[in-house]
Amino acid sequence: MIRFEKVTKTYPGHPHPALDNVTVDIEKGEFVFLVGSSGSGKSTFLRLVLREYRPTTGRVYVAGKEINRLAGWKVPRLRRDIGTVFQDFRLLPNKTVTENVAFALQVIGKSRKEIKDVVPETLELVGLGGKGDRMPDELSGGEQQRVAVARAFVNRPMILIADEPTGNLDPTTSVGIMKLLDRINRTGTTVVMATHDAGIVDQMRKRVIELENGHVSRDQAQGVYGHQN
Amino acid sequence: MQLRYVYSELGQGLRRNLTMHLAVILTLVVSLTLVGIGLLFQQQATRAAEHFGNQLQITVYLCRLNDSNPVCPNPVTEAQKTEIEAVVEANPEVADYRFESGEVALEKAKELYGEELFSGDNPALTAEDMPQTIWITLEDPEQYEGISSAVQGLDGVSRVRDLREQVGPILATITKMRTYALGTAGLLVLAALLLVANTIRLAAFARRKEIGIMRLVGASTLYIALPFLLEALVTALVSVALAGGALAAFLRFAIGDLADNLRFVPWIGWDEFWVAFGAIAILGPVLTLLPTLVLTRKYLKV
Repeated sequence: MIRFEKVTKTYPGHPHPALDNVTVDIEKGEFVFLVGSSGSGKSTFLRLVLREYRPTTGRVYVAGKEINRLAGWKVPRLRRDIGTVFQDFRLLPNKTVTENVAFALQVIGKSRKEIKDVVPETLELVGLGGKGDRMPDELSGGEQQRVAVARAFVNRPMILIADEPTGNLDPTTSVGIMKLLDRINRTGTTVVMATHDAGIVDQMRKRVIELENGHVSRDQAQGVYGHQN
Repeated sequence: MQLRYVYSELGQGLRRNLTMHLAVILTLVVSLTLVGIGLLFQQQATRAAEHFGNQLQITVYLCRLNDSNPVCPNPVTEAQKTEIEAVVEANPEVADYRFESGEVALEKAKELYGEELFSGDNPALTAEDMPQTIWITLEDPEQYEGISSAVQGLDGVSRVRDLREQVGPILATITKMRTYALGTAGLLVLAALLLVANTIRLAAFARRKEIGIMRLVGASTLYIALPFLLEALVTALVSVALAGGALAAFLRFAIGDLADNLRFVPWIGWDEFWVAFGAIAILGPVLTLLPTLVLTRKYLKV
């Protein structure tokens, strides 16, 4: 589903590459944690998947497409196959929960009927049934993140990317979000989650890819956050 | 494509940046009006030149019936005309020449003073009263003495008019006004472009959250840019309409007054107005849409 082949990404003006000769293969339906300290290359990894950047050298394949060669106008198509969740939720404050989720479908041209069917269903799935009319600032942090997950998943993407989705949440709430991501993963969606949250990684026992100064220092099935002795 | 979002964004965007849009519209109205006025003057200069000949021309008046000039006891004969033509033809100062009949001269007079003076049982003038003329285009406007004196003494020539004395100042004034109008318009167009650019920057900033989400969920670039383009189009259309009104007022009042007082020049009318209006109706949208297209590509880069 996601394949990096000897990928190096160097930003202009920076002597050291953010990713250095990274080769990673993530299968369809996998759940992968991306760990590593700040500046280790996690964000660059995710941005390459989203084709916000092209790799300097090497090849990146996402959902069967080689993104190096993907023409600019085809990028929106690619992104419809990828849902994204961030640490800071990124909800539109002047829209209700339902409108926030519907927005993602509206702007890619889905019909009104489809939106009316799918949005409540997705809100139900993320555990926000009945809260569709609330404004984001009336919700707790955990609930806001659920809205963001609903928005990322409403188009049933093949890949869900989560960049520190629990970074702003307390441990109990975080567990709820992780359960939700796990449920989404079980529908066959590939989930890639960058995180610093050792407790969650240790608890979930999923594949862990650790980046260190742009290199893959560890790639472990059913891994934990820190190095195992 | 679902355009509901686009339309609601358009309305919101217009309200949110109202002051900027007004600034764009005002600048555009003034610059488009000036462009229009420049084009009107341009056409005025062309019309005047067609009527009087341009500055490169001198006119040879041939003797007519009852010519007041004593050198013209009789109207010019065909033989005299042939001889005059031969002299003109042979002169090195002449680039080109043409005959103009009394009928054509009468038409020109009608154009200036109105049809009614020349029709009916007792017209003020008929084609016979109007002199035949030869319009000579010079190789060099400064070199005219030779041809002037060569033709002057010939039989059948009443007088030689050097148009540069009479038409020169009029044409010069019109041309100067055209240059001023277009020059000022050029500066204002630049200001309008900068204002449009600034408006887009502000609008993109105000919408950065929506735009960020739209990019992430895979909205097409056109869909993201559409509210910006429509805003640009709306400001352009409002500006063109207002500038058209200003231009019409200019033609009706400023030129209209001139035309009433200075009747010896043929003045432009509504035909010329529509030409100028057509030009600004194209220019207005181009001025707002072009920077919008360029800048949305920059600011909304996928």
